[in-house]
Amino acid sequence: MEQNNSLTPFPQGLASPPGAMTPVMPIFSPTMRYNTGLTPQPVQNTNSLSLLEEQQRQQQQQQQQQQAASQQQGVMVGASGQTPQLYHSQVSTTTALPGNTPVHTTPLTPMTPITPATPASESSGILPQLQNIVSTVNLGCKLDLKTIALRARNAEYNPKRFAAVIMRIREPRTTALIFSSGKMVCTGAKSEVQSRLAARKYARVVQKLGFPAKFLDFKIQNMVGSCDVKFPIRLEGLVLTHQQFSSYEPELFPGLIYRMIKPRIVLLIFVSGKVVLTGAKVRAEIYEAFENIYPILKGFRKTT
Amino acid sequence: MPSSCPECGSSNVVEDDLYSQRQWVCVDCGSVVSEGHLTTTVSDETQGRAVPYHASTEVLKKPCRNLIAGFSRVRALCRILRLSSDMESAVVSLFERAYNHPNFIFVTLTKKEILGGCCVLSVCRQCNWPVAMGTIGYLLGVDNATLGTVYREFTKALNIEISTIGIMDMLESFCYDFKLGPQQVEEVFAEPPQRLVDRTSALIELAADAWIVTGRQPLPLLFAAVYLAWQSLNPTVRMKYTFVKFCKIGKAPEQSWHRSRDSVVKRLKELRDVLCKLGRELPWLRGGTVEPNTVVPLVDDILKNHRALLLRAVRNYEQQLQNESQTAQTTECDNELSDSNRSESHSSTTPELMDPDQAGCENPADKQATDCQLPPDHWSKRHLFLPPCVKNRKRQRVDAPQLEVTGDEEISDSEIESYIRSQDEIEMYLKVQKELKKMA
Repeated sequence: MEQNNSLTPFPQGLASPPGAMTPVMPIFSPTMRYNTGLTPQPVQNTNSLSLLEEQQRQQQQQQQQQQAASQQQGVMVGASGQTPQLYHSQVSTTTALPGNTPVHTTPLTPMTPITPATPASESSGILPQLQNIVSTVNLGCKLDLKTIALRARNAEYNPKRFAAVIMRIREPRTTALIFSSGKMVCTGAKSEVQSRLAARKYARVVQKLGFPAKFLDFKIQNMVGSCDVKFPIRLEGLVLTHQQFSSYEPELFPGLIYRMIKPRIVLLIFVSGKVVLTGAKVRAEIYEAFENIYPILKGFRKTT
Repeated sequence: MPSSCPECGSSNVVEDDLYSQRQWVCVDCGSVVSEGHLTTTVSDETQGRAVPYHASTEVLKKPCRNLIAGFSRVRALCRILRLSSDMESAVVSLFERAYNHPNFIFVTLTKKEILGGCCVLSVCRQCNWPVAMGTIGYLLGVDNATLGTVYREFTKALNIEISTIGIMDMLESFCYDFKLGPQQVEEVFAEPPQRLVDRTSALIELAADAWIVTGRQPLPLLFAAVYLAWQSLNPTVRMKYTFVKFCKIGKAPEQSWHRSRDSVVKRLKELRDVLCKLGRELPWLRGGTVEPNTVVPLVDDILKNHRALLLRAVRNYEQQLQNESQTAQTTECDNELSDSNRSESHSSTTPELMDPDQAGCENPADKQATDCQLPPDHWSKRHLFLPPCVKNRKRQRVDAPQLEVTGDEEISDSEIESYIRSQDEIEMYLKVQKELKKMA
């Protein structure tokens, strides 16, 4: 029986506190085949910021667990850098402690990668900036758009063109579409909390206009981010090697449209090196998508 | 129901319908005793509705008129583009599928015409037959954007895989479009197509290396490259002919180049600039000036040695950057502290050598850089050849300062009040509206 106490430091050198095992899949029981909620979705890239945050959260929860259960099966995770193609699965070896229930190892599933395989590399060091957040909220009551358009300064309403009031506030600089059913769409904010604050302000304006507005089911529907990799990109090469994800029609649009499957994000990649990422519901998806695409783009950087 | 025949008096009268008209016939003598109405009155009809066209058998027997017209149009397109008969039949069957698809059966006739063009485009792509969207566009008389929207809808609706087509694939058929054979034009203008193709492809490869091709419309670039190639194959005689004259000599169809004339002129300028940058490196010119309007005679030499010239140009540029940074460092010793701070922050983001102070740095290779508003430490200064969209950035993007909010803060009443009209304002607004309505 061996208990491997040596820690595999994560590629960034984030070593877990000594003495603790560094499980990525801490608990195994016959009933639990998959990871607990502690782990993020299969570790494909130990580079994304979201993963850093997750790891920190994990460690905190680990420590709580250590106190709860003294005997755990340690799991050594092969560094994902060793199996670049199969990052969806994890090479896991478990050390069997006596008296423990049999262990399920995750099978090595050589499935076709749904995101292109990337070798473990350093983080790109570039952070995509969020440019636009679209969110919706239900004000919970029917609204009379004519009254709103009449009594609010910042509203425009043209029923022949569009069946909603378009309202704008200065801080945070956003635009809202308010429908007579009481539903509202808020666009233009640069972060999730700004979007929430803006939506609350619109609800407050509607309240002040005399409607019993509430603030129900606030949800972020779409997030758009952009960044610059600072080198020109050979789009023709990229579309040849990643043709199942990319669509490049220079006669229609100068950028390449890359539809990443995991996470489900659409990226617009331009020859100047600028990348626009859209379709995310949470910030982490944008960061993860960029960390996935950056090594691919680096491969198409060509210096003459 | 009559029971006896008036002719022979027998009572053997049976109901024997003739073609769905009810008749009572006497069996013995065969006379018709009585018959039902041929026509029905409104009260008799239980289903008083005409059969619609699409449910009648007419639809199966004869396809709709617009579909037939569409077929002939599509076949005409195939013949213009000289597709093989297999491809033509593939196009026709695809068009039938698309026409009868629920997304397209009710669209306007113009859109159905464009749909025909999309079918041709799709089959050409599948069979690796290089046809540009711009070609189909000018044959149908629509612009790329409209064609593009219909094409995208069409591929999505019919689940067709789009394969991209490169500019080099389109090159050969494009060159053959120009009628410059020895029998068709004068001796000085004539050019065997193969020579033209070779020279043009060399020019386009060079343009691709210099980042002029990626992300751009291919057709204007092809026009520019063919024109320059034609000129360079006999520069002494052909230098004086403009692009428009060249198109007329080569009898290129006017609709194909007329709309993109401005883009062609821009691409010509860019191509000539690239050729100048390389031409300057030719050792036998010994540093003589190379100007865009006189570079065409040198194209032959440049293309023969383009790889070596590219390497030389880039190396010289990097050398220049290094020299300038060194001189800047030695002269700016009083501002060294601020410089070193800045250079540290630069080097943390970029691993390569950066000029610490580029305010006065003039790179002879891109004098245009001072016209646009690139910040002095922009990464593009390090590259000799760059996509023009990076070099010619007209407007600097200013990132608005991020608001530090939590999303759950108190919202001040005064702020919300500022968005609501006062009673006076409302009355004034209503008054003005009434006046406007009276005037209108």
